[in-house]
Parts: sequence; structure tokens; C-alpha cells
Amino acid sequence: MSQNKDKLLIDVGSTYFKVSTSEHIEQHFRDFNKDIFDDLKYKCGEIISRYAKADVNICSSANGGLSALIIGVTHTFSLKFATNIAFNSGINIIDTILYQNIEEYSVPSDLVDVVIVVGGIDSHSNIFSDSLYNYLAQLNYSNLVFVGSEQEASSIKDNIEHAVVLPNIIDDRLHIVEEHLKEYLTNLYQQDIEGKEDIKNLYDITSNQIYSTPYIVNKALPLIDARFSIVNPFILLDIGGATTDIHYSKDLVDDNIVTENEYDRLVFKKLGVYKSKQSLIFAAKNNEFVYELLTHLKVTENIFDEQSEKATKVLMQLAVFLVLCKMSHYKKSYINLKLLAVNSIVLTGGVTKVLAVEDIEYIISFFYKKILTSDHNPVVVLDSNYDIWTLGAQGNELCQ
Amino acid sequence: MKVITGVVGNDIHVVANRLIDLSLRARGFEVFNLGVNTYLEEFFDAAVETGAEVLLISSLNGEAEGWGREVKALKAKYKTLDDLIMMIGGNLVVGSGNAEDIVPRYKNYGFDLVCHQVDLNTGLDLLEVFIEDKKLQKSNK
Repeated sequence: MSQNKDKLLIDVGSTYFKVSTSEHIEQHFRDFNKDIFDDLKYKCGEIISRYAKADVNICSSANGGLSALIIGVTHTFSLKFATNIAFNSGINIIDTILYQNIEEYSVPSDLVDVVIVVGGIDSHSNIFSDSLYNYLAQLNYSNLVFVGSEQEASSIKDNIEHAVVLPNIIDDRLHIVEEHLKEYLTNLYQQDIEGKEDIKNLYDITSNQIYSTPYIVNKALPLIDARFSIVNPFILLDIGGATTDIHYSKDLVDDNIVTENEYDRLVFKKLGVYKSKQSLIFAAKNNEFVYELLTHLKVTENIFDEQSEKATKVLMQLAVFLVLCKMSHYKKSYINLKLLAVNSIVLTGGVTKVLAVEDIEYIISFFYKKILTSDHNPVVVLDSNYDIWTLGAQGNELCQ
Repeated sequence: MKVITGVVGNDIHVVANRLIDLSLRARGFEVFNLGVNTYLEEFFDAAVETGAEVLLISSLNGEAEGWGREVKALKAKYKTLDDLIMMIGGNLVVGSGNAEDIVPRYKNYGFDLVCHQVDLNTGLDLLEVFIEDKKLQKSNK
């Protein structure tokens, strides 16, 4: 880890704080009985006091991010484009709804931070009707943004109070237009942070904008060669306490999304080893290969009930396996990666503190043999000193 | 009138695809060209997003046979595509075959117009006649 200028970089995760200076990096387990700001000051107060507000950069994934519900008219265009933009903006998607079947979907009981409605190119009209408005009337949400056909915009505005209308994310050649929605969602994330007591106090120690951690990690990827020997195409797995993020080279997908981004992001919200431990175990128990994997690791399912270093290690290994399964053609999902073309798998986040390279290679080799019936073995790179995060934070700083 | 076109399946006949695109435009159609290697679902989804009235699928390497069988079942899942004009053209079988066998088979798959090894302009003439007939039928109702 190295920094050109003496800046203080702070990452507030769901489980740990990471604090990086030009001299060293340290991490602290969070005290969940304390306010984030108080906890940070208690543990790192001395370091923080040495830096002016302008020299402190903070990113956070601790506030859980924003939850989004997307309503679109097709899987291939509207839902896929909006999902891609939302993930790349650091948003967590709770569900996607295919508009023609909207009456068959149950209404989420929890408050949704933002509803994204999309569909149709600008020359298409009469796409949405009462079924949309009836569904929305039952839904508890804070914001609604419409990014579909401009001919539908006035009726959306007439029927939905406080609806924000932005330019269509689908152009007249059926290509994605991402900047307007991306900017809106990034700003919404910002407002969300500022509105949350726990996070907004962090502005007492920085005069810079607080970004979401996945946004910062994504920024680092084009620069990753500076710190690691990585061969493209690669995937980056950020397995943490609450969520698992995947950033992947666009070369690994065959799809109709053409943007300037070299890397896209996907998040599995309830896949983590601390806050999301129970849902990780649930997902593991529902995977037909997991019991074989446990045998391979020489443990039994009783490991799920244990609280030990060994148990955490096994959970991390399961998380790596499950994420690869979810991204492979074995599971049909929003996106499937060409995993046989992957040359490097980079791991960052909490997983790097628990597993050694050999532990990960063992799982990856099992995955490729069992699921993809291949001897392919991508190179495993462990970002054990949070270099990717510091690289992204510095890169972002330089861009400002 | 809006037309969705593209080459179905794992078929990379890009020149034919480009010629169809140009010919349709020359006849005044608004064309949404999905290009080569296009899956069936993408064609239908593009029709939903654009409000297209015509779907013109081309196939040059005979792959259409496999994909064609799925047309009826897949289209039935869409609630707004009942009036979509379905046309397919190109080389529609692997190896040799005659139009007398092939055309009814593809009509049974759910296509309104089937042009097996028919010259492009002749095929598009047929399309225009079909559209006119359909308009007439509608106005007579």
C-alpha cells in the first residue's frame, strides 16, 4: 500500500473500519452498540486528529445502501439496462418486475428507497396503464424515477405524485444511455448518507464527498495493473460481512449493453459471513453440491452451528463457491459470466483476512471441476492489504 | 412502419443482415436491426420496446429450424404481440428441401410469411402486399 500524498482514507464497512495513511493501514472490528462516528473516533481518534478535513476521504457500505425496485417492460432491454445502471451506481436491487405481469407480483412490505420505472423507446406510446398505478398505490416507497419513453412521461407525472422524469435509458437504436439515471442514483445515495444520523456525522471529519465503497472499488479496476500482476479478463470478488460484490470485465459477458465502462458490478445482498451469515447458510443448504464440498473440506454441516475460526473459514470458502455458482451458466441469472475465459480471480474485503491463497485455489478448483467440468485454473490474487480500495480512493481524489 | 430484424441463433451472416436492413429502409420502413447472433427472446422484447408491427427474422445457415419450433410457445408469453406480423426468410433448412414442405411447416411454427430461398426484393414485395391486405381486412371489420 502506498500513497503519493499524505491523505487519510477511511472505509466504513458493515463489520470493520479500515483506515489508511501513507505509512500504514489498520482495521478495527466495529462496536455495534456505538454510533459509527463515536466508534471511529474512539478507535482512530488520534490518527484522525492529525488530518485536516480536506485531507480525509471516506467511503462507506455500512448504511446498507439504497434499495431499488425496477419495473420494466422486457428482460432484454428495460429491466437489464436499469439493473446494470443501478448496480454500477452502488444500489441494491430488491426485485425486478416485468410490467405485463405486474398483477401477479406480491408487493414488498418494506419501504423501498427508489422505484425505477422504464420501458419503450421515445417514439412508442400507450405502454403503461392503470395496472402500474394500482401496484404503486400499494407500494411503500420514498422516490420514483421514470426513465422510459418520453411519450409516457406526462401520464406518469399526472398519475404519480413526486415522480422524477429523466431522459430515456433506451435510445432509438435500443442501446443503453446510462449517465442521467446513474447521476440521479448516485446523488440519491449521497442524500441517503446525509440523511442517516450514523453516517452524516462523518462529515465532521471530512469536507469531501462520502462515496459508496463499491463505487470506489469499481474506479480502481482500470488502474489495477499498477499494483497487481493480473491478466485480463478477470473478476473481483469483495466478500464482506453483509454483502458480496462482484466486479467483472465486460469481456466476460455476451450481451447487448454497450457502454464505456470496462467493468460492471453485481451485488448479492444477503451473502456475507457476519451480518448475512444465516442467509449464506440457507443458500448453501439449498445448493446440491455443498455437502460434497463440505466433505471435500473434511467438515460436516455441524460447522454451520459453530462459532470458531475454522467455521468462519469454511463460510468464506462456501461464499466463494456460491458466488461462482450464481455467476455461472449453472444458474440462470441477470447475467452469466464466461467463467472458462477468466484468467484471474481477485479477492478483496474481509475474505482476505480469513483465507490464504491455497484455501481459495482449493475451492476454485473444486468449482471448475464440479460445475464446469473443466481443469481450468485461474490465478488467484489476494488483495490482503486493501490496495484496491486505496487505489480507487486515490484515483477518485485525483479525478476531483 | 416499424420493423425488427436480425439473424437468429448462432448465425453470423452479417452481409445478408445489412442488405435486408438497407432494403427495408429504402422502402420506407423504420428499421431496428438487432444484428447477427440474436436470440428469439431478444426479437420479441425489441418488438415490445419499440411497438414494432413487423418482425422479420433471417436465417442463412439453417438454424431457424431449431429456433422456429419455439416461436409459438415463446410468443404466447407476451401479452401485447398478438398483432405482430411474423416473417422469416433465408435458407431455412440444413441441406436441401423444397418450399412446398418448408413453408407450411414454418407457418405452423407461427410465421405469417415464409420465404425459403426467395430473392430479397420478392420477399419484401410479399411483405408489403401482406401489410396492405391486413390493413384492408381491418378497415372492413
